Amino acid sequence: MSFLEIFQYTRQDSIIHRLDPRSKLFLTLVCAIISLLFLDIIPLLIIFASLLPLLAAAKSLRRWAKSMKGLLVLLVFIMVFNTLLSTGPYPFSYSVSLTLRLVALMTSFSLFFLTVHPDELSQALIQMRVRFEFAFAMSMAMRYVPTLGHEAYAIMDAQRSRGVELDKGNFVQRVRNIIPIIVPLIIVSIRRALSIAESMESRGFGASENRTYMERLQFRRRDWSLVIVSLGVLVTVLYLRFIVGLPDLFLWNIGF
Amino acid sequence: MIILEDVEYSYDGIYTALRGVTLQVDRGESVAIMGTNGAGKTTLIKHFNGLLRPQAGNVFLEGKDTSQMSVAEMAKIVGLVFQNPDHQLFLESCKKEIAFGLKNLGFTQEEAEERCDQTLSRLGLEGFAERSPFALSGGERKRVALASVLATEPDVLALDEPTIGQDARQKESLARMLMEMNKKGRTVIVVTHDIEFVIEHFPRTIAMSDGQIVADGDTSSVLTHEEVLERCSLTLPQMTQAAKALRHRFDNVSDRLASLSDIESIATTLLEGA
Repeated sequence: MSFLEIFQYTRQDSIIHRLDPRSKLFLTLVCAIISLLFLDIIPLLIIFASLLPLLAAAKSLRRWAKSMKGLLVLLVFIMVFNTLLSTGPYPFSYSVSLTLRLVALMTSFSLFFLTVHPDELSQALIQMRVRFEFAFAMSMAMRYVPTLGHEAYAIMDAQRSRGVELDKGNFVQRVRNIIPIIVPLIIVSIRRALSIAESMESRGFGASENRTYMERLQFRRRDWSLVIVSLGVLVTVLYLRFIVGLPDLFLWNIGF
Repeated sequence: MIILEDVEYSYDGIYTALRGVTLQVDRGESVAIMGTNGAGKTTLIKHFNGLLRPQAGNVFLEGKDTSQMSVAEMAKIVGLVFQNPDHQLFLESCKKEIAFGLKNLGFTQEEAEERCDQTLSRLGLEGFAERSPFALSGGERKRVALASVLATEPDVLALDEPTIGQDARQKESLARMLMEMNKKGRTVIVVTHDIEFVIEHFPRTIAMSDGQIVADGDTSSVLTHEEVLERCSLTLPQMTQAAKALRHRFDNVSDRLASLSDIESIATTLLEGA
């Protein structure tokens, strides 16, 4: 479950943490769009290399590295399958770029989720005129990701104590072993959802139409600068990609 | 027999849950583990069946070093029941739920059925066999989860907070069942905050605080020791409070009395003397 950590908020203080969630969302979207514009190794490596300093500024490089280690199996899997199944001229090269693109995309989004508190997220959504109930549901979903992870571990412990061998047997056996984990996980989640709903209602959730808020997010000068810089980068990249075209050097591939 | 030698464990290297725990539980003992929340009680019992492995120190089970044993192997010897029954119930009837563990541990269909019926009736769950565990109340689910492990009659039975959500009579029948198993030579270990439950049924108590064992011994002396009680955030047992009250008037009353029968006998002696 450690791979989930890159999408999980960590309480820290850094330049990135202090930014307004809306400007961070913009930055993340720009990074994600740029990652989706390219499918060659060199440009993707450049994108990846420019994301790392941002992660470092968020003081999250170590967490990111840890999660990536957890994801390594999946990444290798993607690479192998794409190499085997691709019909293009350079299957390996192609699957390496696909994997790089996935990593870049995940890193872009982790930049947002690592540094935005669930409450900030819902406040940002509300100030972007999303209905309160919907914004609340979003931040609740985000808030319960780690809880669900802990729960999954507790369930695995309980079932292993009853003699379930999770990491033994052939493929079919392993798939069947998921049942004793997944069923309690779903039931526990439903029970919790019901009790959260009850406790929210008993505390007057939805009682008044017009909510007021203790704290409101403020777009500061640094947020505007971030938006302007990101926009500038996006426009430049779009221009280079579609109008100027990439130099041959950038289209290099591994050759098989 | 379970032996722990200087066991240390910390979660993610940040939160230290056990700092050098050494203990020995012999075959056929019944032991209560008490302590504040976060004292490391659950972490400790997870070492008994290998769910957690000591980061320093050793765990021996029946004389064997457990570092090479799998959880499944250890689960045959040590049955562990956790606090939250919802973490293990997943089948469509209570009967299947109880049979599941039995089959995992290699019992045949007939044996499983027989044990199943026995355990259900002993825990007051007759008539629940065909019902879905998800449709039961919290306390009932807890008993089904208990039943699913009790049915396997492991050599060592370790229960985490088994009395939560149970009424006085259920607690009594649970205690009776545990003591029955204990008489058959099984080791019974419970983690609990229920001081009266411990006094009446468990001769030995291990008190924990902050990842360490602060007292280990005779229940009546551990649970009447005020410093130990304070460190474990417990209060004096009711019967000990009664003994203290008697002591104000009569010098020959010990302040180590904890169980109902202790008070009964001292009261009788005092009355006869008067």
